Amino acid sequence: MTTSSIDPVMKIEGRTAGRFGDFGGAYVPEILVPALRELAKAYESAQKDEAFQLEFKDLLQNYVGRPSLFYHAERLSKHLGGAEIYLKREDLNHTGAHKINNTLGQILLAKRMGKSRIIAETGAGQHGVATATACALFGLKCVIYMGEEDIRRQHLNVLRMRLLGAEVCSVTIGSRTLKDAINEAMRDWVAHVEDTFYCFGTAAGPHPYPTIVRDFQTIIGEETRRQALKELGRLPDTLIACVGGGSNAIGFFYPFIEDQGVKLIGVEAGGKGDAIGEHASTLTLGDPGVLHGSYSYLLQDDDGQIMMTHSVSAGLDYPGVGAEHSYLKEIGRAEYVRVSDIEAVRATQILCQTEGILPALESAHAIAHAVKLAPHYGPSHVIVVNLSGRGDKDVETLEEYMERGEYHE
Amino acid sequence: MSKRLDRIFSQPAKGKTRLIAYLMAGDPTPETTLRRLKGLADYGVDVLELGVPFSDPIADGPVIQSAGERALKGGMTLVKTLEIVREFRVLHETPVLLMSYLNPLLRYGWGKFVKDAVEAGVDGLILPDLPWKEGTNLRTETKRLVGTQLSFIPIVAQTSQEEDLLELSIGSQGFIYVLSRNGITGGEAEISAKVTGFINGLKQHTQLPRCVGFGIQTAKQVHCLAEYCDGVIIGSAIVRQFSELDKKELSELELRKGETEILEWVAEINSIK
Ligand SMILES: Cc1ncc(COP(=O)(O)O)c(C=O)c1O
Repeated sequence: MTTSSIDPVMKIEGRTAGRFGDFGGAYVPEILVPALRELAKAYESAQKDEAFQLEFKDLLQNYVGRPSLFYHAERLSKHLGGAEIYLKREDLNHTGAHKINNTLGQILLAKRMGKSRIIAETGAGQHGVATATACALFGLKCVIYMGEEDIRRQHLNVLRMRLLGAEVCSVTIGSRTLKDAINEAMRDWVAHVEDTFYCFGTAAGPHPYPTIVRDFQTIIGEETRRQALKELGRLPDTLIACVGGGSNAIGFFYPFIEDQGVKLIGVEAGGKGDAIGEHASTLTLGDPGVLHGSYSYLLQDDDGQIMMTHSVSAGLDYPGVGAEHSYLKEIGRAEYVRVSDIEAVRATQILCQTEGILPALESAHAIAHAVKLAPHYGPSHVIVVNLSGRGDKDVETLEEYMERGEYHE
Repeated sequence: MSKRLDRIFSQPAKGKTRLIAYLMAGDPTPETTLRRLKGLADYGVDVLELGVPFSDPIADGPVIQSAGERALKGGMTLVKTLEIVREFRVLHETPVLLMSYLNPLLRYGWGKFVKDAVEAGVDGLILPDLPWKEGTNLRTETKRLVGTQLSFIPIVAQTSQEEDLLELSIGSQGFIYVLSRNGITGGEAEISAKVTGFINGLKQHTQLPRCVGFGIQTAKQVHCLAEYCDGVIIGSAIVRQFSELDKKELSELELRKGETEILEWVAEINSIK
């Protein structure tokens, strides 16, 4: 799709808060307008407040275990025979994924705003677990919305959320995945906006969420930059991250956006094929539109209805994407590609067997693209893959593939 | 604003107040929707609100969500929704407002949509995921294309603050849609002193008529609100009754009889004989 796919009436002149080029905005029910404005103000003041920043930094260091490792995957690199591959180990964070960076930041904001009840949506369950964890740490009431289909395939994380004291609400309408969990969380927020804080899990949604989530995740890219300069003496050549709503990818890419020499590649879920309902390749196969409060790329049919999606990984199974990714695609700064279910499952196997690391199926999409790309380069080319999470939650899904004999090449 | 809509609010109400009734287009079929729209108009409803089904209706409760699902399953589209309005206009002057989430309208193409909507006989738009301050471009473009034939009906919530209300008073037309409470469509609203105080307070900000909706389902609520505002909006309560009728296996005659009973109920809660 080219720029012409943007309806002229959606063109924004000049720079406006909450916009990434023409993308973004806050297309929400009027009830939420004051709440989003209050959130934006609270965030602005928190950014300038040294005590807030120190508390956040301290949590990242002493609770999450940051900085996360910048790991040279030598055996994987040798196995692929080409570029040198490094892994940014977000899987080693407390709770097992990058999501905790964002939830701790948002829960600190909620506390600052005096909100007593936290709601969140979750797909893979990682954001749900991270939110439940942060709520336990700060003694806040926590309600998590999760699609029935995701509750089935990410059962381990449902148990973890319950152990952490969260209430998990099963969403049984629509596609019963992340999209519908967000719908339900929004409906809850509309009805309880006075005392409730919506802890949004990805870099999508209405302004100011895409900015807040990106900023809290930027630690990934900042550390990567520092670690690469220290260990390699230079910046990497290529960064690869998976894209669901886009939070791990934007946090990883953001500090490198001005470095034109660094190639940025986002990997979407290619699922089982190109037909409607078989994939979740929003940026690669979608068009701009409005979903969940934001003008961004989305998967829709000719009547503007949101399409069903599919991915082996629950965290990528989403028909929308963060507005800043739509912008990076539009201006050509980042490239977006797709990886199929089978390729992701095979990449999981390769990483397990060469490095002894079990990646989340989401992150395995990024690994799979590195597997494809590495042989095209020599050892002087450095690829860093953001390993956004660990794969313990996915072992049952992987077992289903093994039993069906679809696991091996 | 559209002449049809203007007429409704410049004349005294026929019943206790002005009644605005909602139906989901294509629930369960376009033919049924058209027949029921005509019925509502014939039974004294002042303004009709026609929902365009959308896959992800974040501002709607279970009743209207299900209505939308049924409509989409039956193949309902924006094109067919406009077709219903066109056919309704052959014999009826009752104003029709489309209630739609943004994406189906954007996909159709905004410019084409507003022209086709006016041509079909639509009088205004209620857009639950377009807050007033995000709508500047859309309103400007609409005005350029069709003048004031298509009104943007602003929605006001009790959470709205001074600055939101000030913005609303600029360029709004028709009436303002006042939410009886924070929440999604459906359920039952409590008409407390806080609510009526809020409705009264809006007079300081706007000359426009104020109509109250969300959770209105009884004659008692209508009569109480009639003292404070210029109209009431009934959505889920009507959709639910028609859908309960559709669930039963009825003969054509029984179905029509059931529909008439619902229409009589609608007239009755606004004290129209
Ligand atoms: C491990 C992991 N990686 C990636 C994602 C995708 O989300 P995002 O694109 O916001 O990083 C998820 C979402 O659940 C996840 O759990």
